[in-house]
Amino acid sequence: MKDVFAVARTQLVCSLRERITLFWFLAFPLLLLCLLGLIFANVGKPQSLSFDVTVVDLDRGADGARFGAGALHALQELAGSGETGEKPLFRLREPAPGVDIERYVAEELDALRVGKRDAVVVIPAGFTAALVAAAAEAGREAAPATRIEVHTSGGRTSSGMALGIIEQIVARVDREILSQLGLYRLDQSVAVGRIDVGAADKTVAYIDFLVPGILLMGFFVAGLFSVPGTLLFGRETRVLRRYWVTPLDVPRFLGGFALGHLALCAVQFACVVALARLAFSAQVNFLQPLAWLYLVLGVVTFLAIGFLVTSLARTANAGMAIANIVNMPMMFLGGLFFPIGSVPPGLRVVLLANPVSYLADGLRASLGVSAPVFGHAASIAVPCAWIVGCVVVASFRLRWDVGK
Amino acid sequence: MDQGAVMRVKDLVKHYGAVRAVDGVSFDVPRAEVFTLLGPNGAGKTTTLEILEGIRDADSGEIEVFGERVRRVDRATKERIGVLLQEGNFEPYLRVKEVLALFASFFRTARSPDEMLRAVALEEKAGALVKTLSGGQKQRLAIGVALINDPELVFLDEPTTGLDPQARHNIWSIVSQLTASGKTVILTTHYMEEAEALSQAVCIMDHGKVIAHGTPRELTSRLGQDTIIEFFVPEEVEFPSTLTAHCALARGDAGLVSTHTADLAATLAHLLDWSRASGISLAQMAVRQPNLEDVFLSLTGRRLRT
Repeated sequence: MKDVFAVARTQLVCSLRERITLFWFLAFPLLLLCLLGLIFANVGKPQSLSFDVTVVDLDRGADGARFGAGALHALQELAGSGETGEKPLFRLREPAPGVDIERYVAEELDALRVGKRDAVVVIPAGFTAALVAAAAEAGREAAPATRIEVHTSGGRTSSGMALGIIEQIVARVDREILSQLGLYRLDQSVAVGRIDVGAADKTVAYIDFLVPGILLMGFFVAGLFSVPGTLLFGRETRVLRRYWVTPLDVPRFLGGFALGHLALCAVQFACVVALARLAFSAQVNFLQPLAWLYLVLGVVTFLAIGFLVTSLARTANAGMAIANIVNMPMMFLGGLFFPIGSVPPGLRVVLLANPVSYLADGLRASLGVSAPVFGHAASIAVPCAWIVGCVVVASFRLRWDVGK
Repeated sequence: MDQGAVMRVKDLVKHYGAVRAVDGVSFDVPRAEVFTLLGPNGAGKTTTLEILEGIRDADSGEIEVFGERVRRVDRATKERIGVLLQEGNFEPYLRVKEVLALFASFFRTARSPDEMLRAVALEEKAGALVKTLSGGQKQRLAIGVALINDPELVFLDEPTTGLDPQARHNIWSIVSQLTASGKTVILTTHYMEEAEALSQAVCIMDHGKVIAHGTPRELTSRLGQDTIIEFFVPEEVEFPSTLTAHCALARGDAGLVSTHTADLAATLAHLLDWSRASGISLAQMAVRQPNLEDVFLSLTGRRLRT
């Protein structure tokens, strides 16, 4: 194994000593992190007072003054202010007529967990009637139907703020309805059941979304450019040929090369995460086995793509040209810097075929910084398929020496 | 066949498309000698060597190395050979000592990098990056790498091409020490003076074939006991039949004229008489014994370096 480790050390040391490599593999990801981190520093932080709230009104009784209708009206008033050009306080969602309510509520609660909603309000069936009955019989314990369920998400600040505002609205509507019926008393108010659905998504600042993307970008650039760079230039300048006249064979060389590459990616990881934490107070926590799986899978996938590019090129310059052509669509249509959902439909084909998309999605989902779009099975299977495909093509096409 | 041969090659053939780069080459390499493949560029020397080094596969032919017949040079054989490639580089961002340590790691047993630094006189450059070395220093490093495993058989492919005279003599000195320590060297060169200075056995190749082999003395003695006279005259000068009847004058490049003679005094007298009579001086006249270049010229009608 000493030969494998020696090749790995050579690969790492040479990469860290060469200025161009050092720039693209370390300085560039760090610069991009700083640039995007500074530009979008406030995205995802709770100072933008606008809340995504879902209201499920099951209170469809015949009463003239239904509580649910009143609450909805009050929320709609707040949501409507957006028409004047200001940002609305609430963005409301309601179930469309005829949908399966149970399923709808479950989906909305999932969306709440991953940060796509700030609160889900459920007004139970018969709520108004129960409210009036409870008000008429002062002192009686409130029936379950008089409890409005407000679902919020863990320690997410925006969710907590939404809850506070909703409680005030509920109290106001309660007062209005009971006053109309002459039943309003100061000492009685509608019970609000606060339900914490947990948080798949804590307060997700853009920096926490960005860090996994920058890491994968660094791995991608390293794999895409360092493999053709090392192997094609090594082949052209006969650096590799010197190895082939010794007992070192191709599999052992590859083992060392991959190990050195992994070490280089580990250096990238340490630098990016340290900068993100120290300079931008990133909170994303990588101490999760699934996240490590995605990181290693990313390194291996991008190495395999690098071998594919190497095998397609006759010369080092051609290899670099192919890498540059591949780089742009795969990196910028891989959801590394923005959510996948924002990609225009016409470009989604690229996104769906791109292993970067799956790795970014899976890594972020495993870190809890965004909701999974593809699911873990697809996020692992698609990069694995790329690895197999690239290795098969490269093993047939790649030449390890000039003229062979 | 020589029973003491370290390597025996028989009917080696290698094609590149329609080109027969190596065309039935056979030779034996004696132990503890410098065996030289001599020939012009494109003669097939390097291709032959690359097959013997394990870089390329032959189309046909037999190779026996260290007493064992092999289809191709395998890992076990590579443990016992050292190779200096004609064209080969090192990672430019490695330091000299790191290069030696890297290659030492490829072998089961190897000499220490410090020992090799001393052997190739690169101790002062131990911490220098490869990219900062001069051509001669890089070549000494390459020899250090070729010898890192203390090989029994060393391949040196054009080891002094492109080097200045001092660097060339440094390399010659290292090669001479190798045979003195019992190692066998297979050398390729297109410098006849290098082959003459270093070799105990020479194999002359042209167009993929071996056209002559033997010791340098055996090869030059094929030209008889003649002495060679060379001089320069203007290219437009015509020699009279009275002169050419006494000496066969062959024209070379840039006005060079040469003649082989068994009777040096008589031939010189004829030439000097003609020079005085015609008023044409015999510039840079030299009298020398035949060398390997003359052998190649006599066999092919061409010079080695054309």
